[in-house]
Amino acid sequence: MASRTTSTRRRGPALLWVQENLFSTWLNTLFTLIFGGLFLFAGVALVRFFLHAQFQIIVTNLTLFMVGRFPRELLWRVWVSNSLIVAAIGLAAGASRGSAKAGLEEAGLPVGGSRPREVVQRFWPILLLILVLLSLSRTWVPTGLTIVMGVTGLGAFACGVVLPASRRNWSFFVAVLMLVSAFAVLVVLGGKGWDSWGGLHLTVVVSALGILFAFPLGVLFAVGRRSSLPAIRFLSVWYIEFVRGVPLITLLLMGMFALRFLLPRGLNPGSVTRVLIAITLFSGAYVAENVRGGLQAVPKGQMEAALALGMGTWTTQRRIVLPQALRAVIPALVGQFISLFKDTSLLSIVGILELLSVSKIVNAQPSFFGQGLASVTLPFVGLIYWVGSYTMSRESRRIEGRLGVGER
Amino acid sequence: MAKKIILLVVVLAMVAAACSSTDSGATAQKSLLDDIVARGKLLCGVNNAVPGFGFVDSAGEFSGFDIDFCRAVAAGVLGDPNAVEFKPLTAQQRFTALQSGEIDVLIRNTTWTASRDGSEGATFLTTTFYDGQGMMVRDDSSYQTLEDMANTSICVLSGTTTELNLAARFNSIPYTPLTFDDNDQLRNAFVAGQCDGWTSDKSQLAGVRSNWPDGEGGPAALRILDETFSKEPLGPVVRDGDSKWADAVNWIVIATIQGEEFGLTQGNVASYSGDNVEIKRFLGQPTPSSDGGTTVFDPGLGLPADYAVKVIGAVGNYGEIFDRNVGPDTALGISRGLNDLWTHGGLMYPPPYR
Amino acid sequence: MWWRDVGTLRIVAQVVAVAAAFAFLGYLYRNLVTNLRAQGIGTGFEFLARPAGVNVAGSGFEASQPVRSVILLGVKNTLALVIVGVPVLTVVGVVVGIARLSSNWLVRKAASVYVETLRNIPPLLVILIAFNAVLLPLPTIDNALHPLGVLVVSNRELGVPWLVPREGSGLYLLVLTVALVLAAGIWVWRTRRFDSTGAPHHRVLWSSAFLVGVGIGAYFLIGTPFQVSLPEVRDRIVVGGMAARASYVAVLVALAMYTASHVAEITRGSILAVPKGQTEAANALALTRFQRLRFVVLPQAFRIAIPPMINQFLNFTKNTSLGIAVGYAEVTLVTFQAIGNGYPAPQMILILMGVYLVFSLTISALVNILNRRLQFVTR
Repeated sequence: MASRTTSTRRRGPALLWVQENLFSTWLNTLFTLIFGGLFLFAGVALVRFFLHAQFQIIVTNLTLFMVGRFPRELLWRVWVSNSLIVAAIGLAAGASRGSAKAGLEEAGLPVGGSRPREVVQRFWPILLLILVLLSLSRTWVPTGLTIVMGVTGLGAFACGVVLPASRRNWSFFVAVLMLVSAFAVLVVLGGKGWDSWGGLHLTVVVSALGILFAFPLGVLFAVGRRSSLPAIRFLSVWYIEFVRGVPLITLLLMGMFALRFLLPRGLNPGSVTRVLIAITLFSGAYVAENVRGGLQAVPKGQMEAALALGMGTWTTQRRIVLPQALRAVIPALVGQFISLFKDTSLLSIVGILELLSVSKIVNAQPSFFGQGLASVTLPFVGLIYWVGSYTMSRESRRIEGRLGVGER
Repeated sequence: MAKKIILLVVVLAMVAAACSSTDSGATAQKSLLDDIVARGKLLCGVNNAVPGFGFVDSAGEFSGFDIDFCRAVAAGVLGDPNAVEFKPLTAQQRFTALQSGEIDVLIRNTTWTASRDGSEGATFLTTTFYDGQGMMVRDDSSYQTLEDMANTSICVLSGTTTELNLAARFNSIPYTPLTFDDNDQLRNAFVAGQCDGWTSDKSQLAGVRSNWPDGEGGPAALRILDETFSKEPLGPVVRDGDSKWADAVNWIVIATIQGEEFGLTQGNVASYSGDNVEIKRFLGQPTPSSDGGTTVFDPGLGLPADYAVKVIGAVGNYGEIFDRNVGPDTALGISRGLNDLWTHGGLMYPPPYR
Repeated sequence: MWWRDVGTLRIVAQVVAVAAAFAFLGYLYRNLVTNLRAQGIGTGFEFLARPAGVNVAGSGFEASQPVRSVILLGVKNTLALVIVGVPVLTVVGVVVGIARLSSNWLVRKAASVYVETLRNIPPLLVILIAFNAVLLPLPTIDNALHPLGVLVVSNRELGVPWLVPREGSGLYLLVLTVALVLAAGIWVWRTRRFDSTGAPHHRVLWSSAFLVGVGIGAYFLIGTPFQVSLPEVRDRIVVGGMAARASYVAVLVALAMYTASHVAEITRGSILAVPKGQTEAANALALTRFQRLRFVVLPQAFRIAIPPMINQFLNFTKNTSLGIAVGYAEVTLVTFQAIGNGYPAPQMILILMGVYLVFSLTISALVNILNRRLQFVTR
């Protein structure tokens, strides 16, 4: 325990902090020396890495890292698609901020904070990553386009905030429509199907679609697992425990090699489709467990009260149980999305051109071949994964706090 | 109670009906060549991370020795070297992809062996690259022959004939193999001294050596042992049982070699106006026939008569393909050696086109 | 009317569901058989007896041995990872988790950096980076380090001292097993004595004293059935002791560190979940910090932490399949190579899934037993 001195000598707050936190006991002093040394060593190694590393391999191949083999003349589709996604997110965020503001104003409470600073604090890893990526690009075009995207997002956010309450639900619908069209713009009217997508773009798409398709599957099996009908419960449990017991790589292997045997002849889905099926099956089981946890979190009294009011099974589920369950489920779902985002790295083993495999193939190009540049590309890829994962988990914790999960 | 029994019977009947429906009939036996022409696109199984043979450049385009042969096949069959969809495959996927019809032809520096011909359901065509397996060591080590490398660690890529050849060659000599899934890991292990030797196809070793960074001693720091301890004939592969398609691909490949023998290049093939009957026949130009008129030779391969013009016009002759991708002026820096024309002492001997 | 009778509807629904499931699976199975036959691939498992045609590094496995042997070898390698890895990651994870709550700012920060960095990177990347950045920079076998004179550290192999059984080792192990059972009996006896009389049980002391005594006594009576073998480098390989190949160490270290970061979060969460009143009461009773941790906080935290920790053990087991990236011959790599050699993919993948299912279900079953014994009875 720190021994507070009763001396009348005043110490500056900084010195006091140092004494309490770093040198309060002999053991602590020892730890401080050891870990201080470790931090110094790590810092020096990091600085040396940045000074000596050759980043040309990333600069030349930045587009490959971002979108894989997407035809370069159709890249405008990717930019449009991303802008639509950013606008959709902006609109939805704006609308929820608008409703929060309206609620506060109604209650007569002061409306909160200065937005820009808070945004930077929340999202500094992503902003940093965008800065790094833009600094690695060869021309000013990506920077310009990113600025346009940012402006679009902010504009959508502003629209969402000033929307009157009657239009707010409509805005969520519009956001969903924008997401769908973001997908469509890549595919229709001369676009390219997802077998041509790659890099970070494909990683994000596969993770998002995986969770999206897994959600209904998961809810189905979660409800099935809690069913009172033994046969249905048996089937659900069987599916969930089977899929949760095997590693994702085995399901991916099954998707790539064995799936075509299970389908009738002539039906030949592309690589990405097969992999998505495997990922959906995989995520479905985990989402089912998350949803089941959410369903269990709904107090039994709620269902008893609904029964007492004469509501049937379906009505109870729809109006009483599921809304409360989803409150607890959403953070877990986000966690599952983060896991999936990281697990897409396994797709490199089965030959899909996602972010990690780009690192492999750029090292085979004639100008970079045989120079051991994996020591540059692997940390770069690691940084991208880290930023995505860290930001999303922090946001998830924030959402958890706001939803009041775990509190009555 | 009776109602429940009736219900059960009805449901069971439904199940029985579902289970007893038979599968649809067999597919008709026609050649892949017709399918591809109808489809308008060639599906080519390739590598995406082998320097010189199949890799992806920064614009996302496939490039390499094998890639050029894919384009040659597309040019010959469809008239358009860009009517190709490249499907990168891992070593484990390649034969299953071929068998299942996911790809039409596999051009992925695959070694021709008896067991692959026999039990993989594959047919190997004309060898496009005669390679051999070699061993690379550090120049300051004392190994001169493979026998010197007893009790050493040797890095090798897994899932390839390289691994098996190593085991066969080192039969009674003890050694420790270190297998890796990709060349990056292997290279790092070799640099760090985790293994004493690096075995791979000599073409790959030559490329690695010529690119060895000066910071690690440059090419002079490495030495490739003289012994070539396996034969690695690399060539295109098609599915068993479709001889029309196999012949078509085969003769397209042969056309590139024949073109080099005739001195036809990417630049001059379209404008050939000489009198050599052999060349005219080869290019699908009219040649004098026995009854005094002219005829255009059609060997019945199912390809257009001037396919050679399209092929060589699209990717050049064999020599040009070689020099562009793996030749002495490229990063791999391989000399023709066995891959030269038979007239120059190599093994490239195109059968006569008549 | 039967169609409005709840009982009937329930049965109908179940029958329909089961029938639909079976019909669907049957459909898939029929497609499978048809397609396999069309390709000339057998639908049975006879291929297990055929030669594997793969070489497994560093184990003396011949390519001519049957496929089932290579699968068993893969399973053995996976087990080698799991048996060593799980204790290591538990220890590291718990220590880091406690460190995150330390009063020392640097220690807290170091632990936070460790956890937040590793948790957010894919395990595959951790393995690749561990191999390239940690293993390979170690000195080469010619310049291997010999820390403490008993270890061998190089980037090719690592050697640790190991016990070599001599004659009498079987008897000794039997004696030890019996002694273990008796020690458990002594534990129970002392606990019962404590319950009935209140005298301090010292059960740990009694049981371990008994075990150690029997162990040492039997060791000398049987005549030194084990011998310590020290590793040393000869002819560029490690002879003696237990040699661990670099790929094994890379996967072990990487996955243990990765899973430990999750365990650290679980530990921290479970310690924080212990009601604050417990800590305050312990302080009021003037327990030292160590006593508070040992007798009040950790036992309660332990109970909360068990289910998510076991989940992490399961994740570790499943993540060993990533050893394929550095060429460690665990069961997934072996299956992958066999498929590449032309063996039928559906059957091989089925076997692979079966292997992992056995692991998972075993661990889950153990967990359930443990959980039931540790449960608080709640309202």
